[in-house]
Amino acid sequence: MASVRVAVRVRPLSQREKDLSAKVIIQVDGQITSVLSTKENFSCMNGELSGERVKSFSYDFSYDSMNSTSLNFVTQEKIFKDLGTDVLQAAFEGYNACVFAYGQTGSGKTYTMMGNPGDYGLIPRICEGLFHHIGGVLQKDKASFHMEVSYFEIYNERVRDLLPSTETQGCELRVREHPKDGPYVDALSRHQVQSYTEVGQLMQEGNKRRATANTGMNNVSSRSHAIFTIRFIKAMFDGELPSETVSKVHLVDLAGSERADATQTTGIRLKEGANINRSLVTLGIVISTLAISPADVNYSETLNTLRYASRAKNILNKPTVNEDSNVKIIRELQAEIARLKALLSAGNQMPSFEQPSGSSVEERLHQDEARVQELTKQWASRWKEIQTILGEDAVALRKEGIGVVLDSQIPYLIRIDEDLLSTGVVLYHLKEGITSVGAGGTKPEQDIVLHGEALQREHCVFENQRGAVTLVPLPGARCAVSGMEVTQPYLLSQGVNIQLGKATMFHFNHPQEAAQLREKRKSGLFVPSNSAAFSVETFSDFRLWMPFLQKHKNRNPVGFDALIKHS
Amino acid sequence: MAANNSIEWRAVCEKFRLAQELSEIESKKDPENNPFRSKYKARDLLKEIHCSLKKIEIEEQGEAGDEADCESSQTADGEPEDGFEKTFTGDSAAGLRAARLAVLQYHLGVNHIETEELSAGELHLMVCMKLIDKCTTTRENVSLFIHVRNQLGILWAGRDEIEKAQGFLEIAETMYLVYMKEDGQPPLDLQDFFVPEGEELSQQEKIRRFEMAYTHTLYYLAQVYKNLQQYERAAQYCHSTLQRQLEYKQFAPLEWAINAATLSQYYITKTRYMEARHCLAAASVIANLAGEIPSEAAAKESEAESEKREELLQKRAEIARCWIKYCLNLLQDAKKLLEDNIGELDLDRQDELKRARRNEEEEKEKGRKSAILFGSSDTFDSICSLEEKVSSMLPLEFEEARSIFLVGQTYVTQAKEYFAMDGHVTDHIEILQDHSALFKVLAFFEEDLERRCKMHKRRVDMLEPICKDLNAQYYLLICRQLQFELAETYYEMMDLKLAVADKLDQPDVHTIKKFNHLCSSSMKYYQMFLDSTRSPEGKFPEKLEDDLLRPALVAKFRVARLHSKLISSNLATQMENLSLSLESYNFVVQYCEENPEAKNAVETELELSMEMVSLLPLKINRIRSTLASSK
Repeated sequence: MASVRVAVRVRPLSQREKDLSAKVIIQVDGQITSVLSTKENFSCMNGELSGERVKSFSYDFSYDSMNSTSLNFVTQEKIFKDLGTDVLQAAFEGYNACVFAYGQTGSGKTYTMMGNPGDYGLIPRICEGLFHHIGGVLQKDKASFHMEVSYFEIYNERVRDLLPSTETQGCELRVREHPKDGPYVDALSRHQVQSYTEVGQLMQEGNKRRATANTGMNNVSSRSHAIFTIRFIKAMFDGELPSETVSKVHLVDLAGSERADATQTTGIRLKEGANINRSLVTLGIVISTLAISPADVNYSETLNTLRYASRAKNILNKPTVNEDSNVKIIRELQAEIARLKALLSAGNQMPSFEQPSGSSVEERLHQDEARVQELTKQWASRWKEIQTILGEDAVALRKEGIGVVLDSQIPYLIRIDEDLLSTGVVLYHLKEGITSVGAGGTKPEQDIVLHGEALQREHCVFENQRGAVTLVPLPGARCAVSGMEVTQPYLLSQGVNIQLGKATMFHFNHPQEAAQLREKRKSGLFVPSNSAAFSVETFSDFRLWMPFLQKHKNRNPVGFDALIKHS
Repeated sequence: MAANNSIEWRAVCEKFRLAQELSEIESKKDPENNPFRSKYKARDLLKEIHCSLKKIEIEEQGEAGDEADCESSQTADGEPEDGFEKTFTGDSAAGLRAARLAVLQYHLGVNHIETEELSAGELHLMVCMKLIDKCTTTRENVSLFIHVRNQLGILWAGRDEIEKAQGFLEIAETMYLVYMKEDGQPPLDLQDFFVPEGEELSQQEKIRRFEMAYTHTLYYLAQVYKNLQQYERAAQYCHSTLQRQLEYKQFAPLEWAINAATLSQYYITKTRYMEARHCLAAASVIANLAGEIPSEAAAKESEAESEKREELLQKRAEIARCWIKYCLNLLQDAKKLLEDNIGELDLDRQDELKRARRNEEEEKEKGRKSAILFGSSDTFDSICSLEEKVSSMLPLEFEEARSIFLVGQTYVTQAKEYFAMDGHVTDHIEILQDHSALFKVLAFFEEDLERRCKMHKRRVDMLEPICKDLNAQYYLLICRQLQFELAETYYEMMDLKLAVADKLDQPDVHTIKKFNHLCSSSMKYYQMFLDSTRSPEGKFPEKLEDDLLRPALVAKFRVARLHSKLISSNLATQMENLSLSLESYNFVVQYCEENPEAKNAVETELELSMEMVSLLPLKINRIRSTLASSK
């Protein structure tokens, strides 16, 4: 939202510079301002001899106001048109705007900002523009306006009211921040204004109070930063609703020098260039006006001012947020994508069966719901709801007499829990391919994680090859099928009981095999499964919705927080 | 010095004394509208002295003035410089004459600079430097040699020509070291050139002033190196400066304390916590030398007391903030060492580090310590006892982490007392953000998931009300930070709830509700963050600003994820959630298509979003067809 524009303006040679027979070393061409290194500047310091003779800087605007008789001379009016119009626009739209002037003592900042009677600068012109606009809008819309101005200066790091009321007369004011109303100068007086004349009067009154001084460099050198603030409130009805926009325009005239103050007080401090306390100004559109002298005698200071622009552009660059890393989400998503892809390819090729990994809580949540529903007496009345919950699962419940029948097309294991208090039924699907089983804690995690005696971290795998399911015990793992210990791969058939470790029992069901067996029993024929009969649509009962696929880890590594900036 | 006791010479000395007094004492009383009145007067006196000196020189030597007349003070020394050839020895009569003229040029230079005539000041300083460069460096001119280079260093640093400043200051530094090694006798001070015989400074005073000049050289160099981004060296020079200031008792307590506290922050970035702690403890102790804080009642009585109270409270609160950062970073650095690739405590790593610590650390710390001590006998014990209150070793388990956390929290309370919400919004919130970060990192060390979740809840409790109260028109950046942090905190809580549910056998309806609530809250704050980028008309920017690009796209990405995490038993709701999820993934993909330069910022997220955009419709279609068939 905030944008920064930088303009540079060159003033005419001053009497003092003429007395010193100073030469003009500045050239303005379009947006470019160039400084010529003079020979003297070269000889002054070693090491710069190889440097280029002309240093050029590009800005949003470069203004040549060196010679009032020249065709290129840029007037106050032109500067207002270029810079002031944006400020006005911002104010009407409810944005804040801020205009800074920066430059060496005596380089013409105050002239650009304030101007002289009859040759007004930016600030009076902007005020005039506001009233002019109000006049126009008042007739068109039914908007009402309210305008207040305040004016203060910062002198030697102290804030003083330039338009003091009886309370603030002679007091040092404090800069404070309010959560709703933003930064403000405590007790600063605000003056309601109705016309441009009133603004002009207040401004003059404040200017008289402002600390200026007669120095060798400038006979009216501004000793303080002066901040003139216009609070502009526009109230209107937006249809039936009252709407109010408040915008602030800050017009800042920075003091030419702070350095003397700094060295006087401590003698041991390098003071950075002029910087306004961050909390004073709410930056919206920011316009920095650099003011420079054209004279060679000010070469170094001018160069410094011109470089300031690059810093001005950087005022707003603060880190936006410190974000946590996305590592965990990325992993979750990768897993989900892998699953979706597997599903997609399964749907396109073979009657293979995507099946959930048994340990995720999401799945258990769903299973729990299934269990609860299954075992509750009201299940019949909620048939539809159960259908919706289970509809996308690979299982279906159907009522048969007083019993509940669980239908699934995928081979699965039913956990036979020895815990007498356990009322649930846990069902594990055996997908096409490998399903790993074990006590877990491995990477990647086992598909089915079990807790029980004598279970290895990786205990065994179930291999489903086109519907044929084989139990493959891993070395040292205790596995038994129908009471017989197995150590080699073992092809499972419909209805067998499987024991893993000491006491973890499962019942193996193979719905398709069972159906085939039933068919066979009926017709006496063996019907091989017809893969062509399966399409993506027929797999609508797959589990697809898996928000929590992985073991959930809680924290992410955090970036090194930026160190404090204060002091 | 033949003229030392002549009446003429005494008059010169008196003028010089007067010029010094005007410049250093009277000038402080100058009115605002004529702030340099006394400085200008001093300048005139200095010019008169310069003329007198020239006259004396001509009379004494009977030679024609080799350097034009007294007007030469106004112009640059145009004489071609013949390299490094030394014409005189520093202690010869000619050398002394040159030095005396150079002292005048020095004062004229400083005077011009202080009255904002920088270029003129520079010329005088250069003349001064050339005058003494004609001489060998001796006890007579070594102090001036350093002073003039200090001044030129500040001048060029002020013009942002850091390398030039560096050049002058490094020569000054070397000269001090060479002089101390080869001579080491108390050198003449600048003032000694203009006092009647018998009124020279005492030996101790000469030493004190000379050492102070060198301390300044080091301090300026510290800042020069900082500006050149040579942080290691900058820190070293800061440290030496602080040590020397204590040693020679040349410091203002509050300023010293703030500098030491600032230096601690550098050591923190280098994970040199022992040094950081030493700086902070010293800062706290030395700050107390600034005196008692005037009571509120006393502050009401007088403006001076009120100002003093304000200043003391503020500086102490700032030191407290540096302590907070110390605790926070110590914890965060430990976390970085201890975490595995998904941010959980790595137990093997923990064991390994504990073993390593037993073996090495203590020995190492002992060796390092002596070099950095702020050795002032009267404060040493207080500094040590303050240091003992908090560890400087990376915590490796919860109890250790907790004790550092608690110290940090104490400083949070202290800092908030001054930086209250009422009046100090930005600072207050920054402290709260640190407090929140302290909880966040402590949670890493907590094994119990429920308790961990409660720590995150504390973060929400402290940030949420503020986020609601704050006017984004003025605190846009802070609002965004808070929104983002709240979104992430809720996300973490949601993950934790899930992990807790994972341990329960049967997550109940309540848990699911809670889970959904956390998801929604997280989404709400991400959305608020995203909405903050909209124009007043409510339009999302077509092109995100650089600093918002990644955060905004990450927020979208997370919103997408959260939508698909919501639990619902209702198929239609599921479908809606998934569609919203798809929409957000799609946003990321589309944005990057339209703004290819964004791709680098969110490489992985984009890749995953693209996958999801291609796969999610499949999921949605399934639900749709189930929904259709169940009707």
